[in-house]
Amino acid sequence: MYKFSNPAQRIRSAALVAGLVAAATFATGLSAADPVTVVSWGGSYGAAQDAALFNDASKNSGIAINRESGASMSKACLQVESRAVSWDLVVTGSGGSAAAAAKGCLEKIDFSVVDVSDFIPGMYTDYCVGTDVFATVMSWNTDKYGQPGSPGAPNSWADFWDVEKFPGTRAYRANNVDGALEPALMADGVPPEKVYEVLSTTAGMKRAVDKIRELKPHIAVFWGSGAQQAQLMKDAEVDMTTGWNGRFDNAKKDGAKVGYTFNQALYDFDCMAMVKGAPNKDTAMKFLAEISKPEYQANLPFHITYGPTNKKAYEVTTAPKELIESLPSHPKNVPMMLPVSLDFYAKHRTEALELYMEMMSE
Amino acid sequence: MASHPDDQSSTKASALPIHIQGLTKKYGRMYALNNVDLEVRSGEFLTLLGPSGSGKTTLLMAIAGFNRPDAGSIRFADTEMILTPPHRRNVGMVFQSYALFPHMTVAENIAFPLKLRGTGAEETAQRVADALATVQLSDLGERGIDQLSGGQRQRVALARAFVFRPRILLMDEPLSALDKKLREQMQIELKHLHEQLGVTTVYVTHDQREALTMSDRIAVINDGKLAQVDTPHAIYNRPVNRFVADFIGESSMLPLTRDDTGKLYFEDHLIATDYQTETGKDYALLVRPERLFMIGDETVDADKTITFSGKVREFVFQGETAFALTSISDTHDLSFRFGTDSSSSQDSMRPGDPVSLGLNRQDVIVIPQTSDQ
Amino acid sequence: MNTAIENEVDPGLPNENQLRSQGIREQRMLLSLATPAFLMIVAIILIPVGWLFYLSFIGGDGQFSLEHYRKMIEYKSYARVFVTTFQVSILTTLLCILIGYPLAYFLAMLPQRLAGFFMLAVLLPFWTSLLVRTYAWLVLLQKNGILNDFAISAGLWETPIKLVHNMTGTLIGMAHIMLPFLVLPLYGSMRKIERDMMHAAANLGASPIQSFWKIYFPLSLSGMVAGSLIVFVLCLGFYVTPAVLGGGRVVMVATQITAILENQFNWGAASALGVVLLVATIVILYLAGRFLKLDAALFGKH
Repeated sequence: MYKFSNPAQRIRSAALVAGLVAAATFATGLSAADPVTVVSWGGSYGAAQDAALFNDASKNSGIAINRESGASMSKACLQVESRAVSWDLVVTGSGGSAAAAAKGCLEKIDFSVVDVSDFIPGMYTDYCVGTDVFATVMSWNTDKYGQPGSPGAPNSWADFWDVEKFPGTRAYRANNVDGALEPALMADGVPPEKVYEVLSTTAGMKRAVDKIRELKPHIAVFWGSGAQQAQLMKDAEVDMTTGWNGRFDNAKKDGAKVGYTFNQALYDFDCMAMVKGAPNKDTAMKFLAEISKPEYQANLPFHITYGPTNKKAYEVTTAPKELIESLPSHPKNVPMMLPVSLDFYAKHRTEALELYMEMMSE
Repeated sequence: MASHPDDQSSTKASALPIHIQGLTKKYGRMYALNNVDLEVRSGEFLTLLGPSGSGKTTLLMAIAGFNRPDAGSIRFADTEMILTPPHRRNVGMVFQSYALFPHMTVAENIAFPLKLRGTGAEETAQRVADALATVQLSDLGERGIDQLSGGQRQRVALARAFVFRPRILLMDEPLSALDKKLREQMQIELKHLHEQLGVTTVYVTHDQREALTMSDRIAVINDGKLAQVDTPHAIYNRPVNRFVADFIGESSMLPLTRDDTGKLYFEDHLIATDYQTETGKDYALLVRPERLFMIGDETVDADKTITFSGKVREFVFQGETAFALTSISDTHDLSFRFGTDSSSSQDSMRPGDPVSLGLNRQDVIVIPQTSDQ
Repeated sequence: MNTAIENEVDPGLPNENQLRSQGIREQRMLLSLATPAFLMIVAIILIPVGWLFYLSFIGGDGQFSLEHYRKMIEYKSYARVFVTTFQVSILTTLLCILIGYPLAYFLAMLPQRLAGFFMLAVLLPFWTSLLVRTYAWLVLLQKNGILNDFAISAGLWETPIKLVHNMTGTLIGMAHIMLPFLVLPLYGSMRKIERDMMHAAANLGASPIQSFWKIYFPLSLSGMVAGSLIVFVLCLGFYVTPAVLGGGRVVMVATQITAILENQFNWGAASALGVVLLVATIVILYLAGRFLKLDAALFGKH
């Protein structure tokens, strides 16, 4: 059809063809490596994961990632239900992942790709691979109640509830029952190993909520986020609160007069889940495998005092001894704590929340 | 209190005179009122007439107590009112916007001043009914304000202003929002109402015709000063200066010269011999267009009539009258207005036609040429 | 024209049909102009609300069920949350009226230009983020916050007063955020009151206080009712401010909805709460409307 009547025109056409070919190659190249969308939380937590896990893992594996904040299992479920999934991997608490999995919002983890053979037992489920170990602890204003471990300092949930021995204000979890009932039962005299047995009945859950109801006049603030836990202690708005150990360590770094104990703390983990129908399922699974490797997890304690879930990380880490020993997953600390029961949350979370909200709304 | 001290049992309240002395009000450096003295006689209908910005509304507002003058005295009979707040002055007022309360019915609006005075329910109802009857709105008591026509609103505002029998009634251009026909009808009605109530009335308007129609006396006001206060007849026929002459009625002005014997001339026409004029001041002849008449072939008595000859420049037929602009010299024109009839040949005056116009010497009005006093 | 009268068969007046069809065409054009707005209302109001209703009647098993509504009766927290929500909304509205009415009155009395300047000050908070304003109140009001520190150092009180993480803090923050919504319509209705009205009242014998209550206040009522309604309805769905300044002690419907969504991913239960709030609001506005003759105030019929 075309007659190239002069050389200039011929050259121009050749250039056009070459350009088109190049563009096509570039386009297919792109689609072969669509970035994996990885969603985490904001603040010091997300920043720590970027620094320790995501950036290096992406560089070394060649898998491009698209980092977003505002991880939430409810949003993930909404994407699934509205058939508009744009997230691949989402950070979640262990309890949240269990509930989301029960709702059918998550993909099963392919353990032929993700190697969990060296993981601490229980730090992964069929739908979620643990990224870090944290503890829900009681923390207090050290000016008011003394340094942890010093004589007379609070050391148990019974002390948290004892407003005569430790007069002052308290803070507790708002509008969310995760990790809220167990301390109440321990304060009420239930030994840690019996806590979930008691909680497995409505009467047991009511007993826990009643115990919180008893403390409620002294609860000045109900906290809604990890950032708020740190802020409350920094501003000395309350004297004692529940919360996540890493947040308090970071608050202490910022000059807050805060201490906490692992005694009777709740041993828990955060994990990475894949949204059902994730757009880049295969590459996302490879990326999940990459960040689960010990060499990345070994860097996490430098940024936040949450422990690796991969046991090998403790062998390869270059972190100093004191730092390692301050992690909730350190063998010295683990026996003091009560591991969170995912089974309880999968079965009773809805009812527990209703009972908890009744107490909150009073 | 059972009844207000100013209340009278008869419908016709006794009226109060108003004495205004040295009233001065400045806005910035502008005088809105400049040392105004005015006597409003008991029971009279006095109109404040002037162009917009002349100070007539400011004067009315000062009487009502809505503005605070810089100096002066306002007495109702013997009582000094200048410091009395408006709600204790007990004067009725009709506003240009009517200012009827939209959240009240007609009857509630009219009852409002009575309720404030603690009038009993029965008497209130009776007086409201009477007031409504007076303004011929007896059936509309339960209407809302937004259901009334402009003329009806005007009447309600009026009824509300006199229902509590004030001894002074103020009206701020109350008819200006009405169309011409209704306005003329209301002028007559207001006049009757004034006669019926006998209340001292101060009326503000910029419409000279309205002022002439309704007033016992007119106070012409300009630049914050009173230019002339007199009866409508006197104001029209004996304006004291050029402003009053210009503002009221149509007129032509012809400059006058004065000889050694004190005679006044326009060009070669002798205009007056014995007018009280001051040496060294310029005077002008004021000619009202309707006072001129056309002179045909008949001879005229020069002692009684001044004759101006000229040419028609423009002619306009306006229904009941016709109007001709006539040049009587190279530089001066006279306006000429005359009544029409169906056969009159005057109706077909054409530009360029020669015409002779007569003016009786009794209609001669000589005024100072400049309006500064 | 004479021809139409003279002809035995009336052929119609000239151009009658053409003019009629032109009229119809114009009406259709006008209707078609309204279509985008109509479609928008369907898309952004009717469909989502309909979907909300539908979801609230779907149980965990995907079948029609009243379980979400049953749960609201079973647990007392729901009733309490609704009471708190209406309580906060009503109190905030009253607080806004208490602060906003004198403010709007002040603005309406000022010369136009000066009023514009002060209005800017009222509106300024509109342009900063809601979250920033809310946290600013936290910084001001908390136990060791600026206000307590100042008052203690000035000797006004000795131990910190609890101003936030409770109903007080919530109401302060909400009233601050809602104030412009009340002041704007109120100011508008006040500006419309002619000066002559007040002159007339005084002239007829009303003292300044009587003039205000009998004339000015009733005439400003339409703006106040409109503003109060906006504030009240906005408060009903408020989340951020009570969550931050309430310290978990002021649990409103929006908080409860978030808790259910975040913890249970239960759209049905959350939708049911939304439906009940919507219905309760409509019922309350209807009753208030009958009681206060709102339609008259809102649409300017006095």
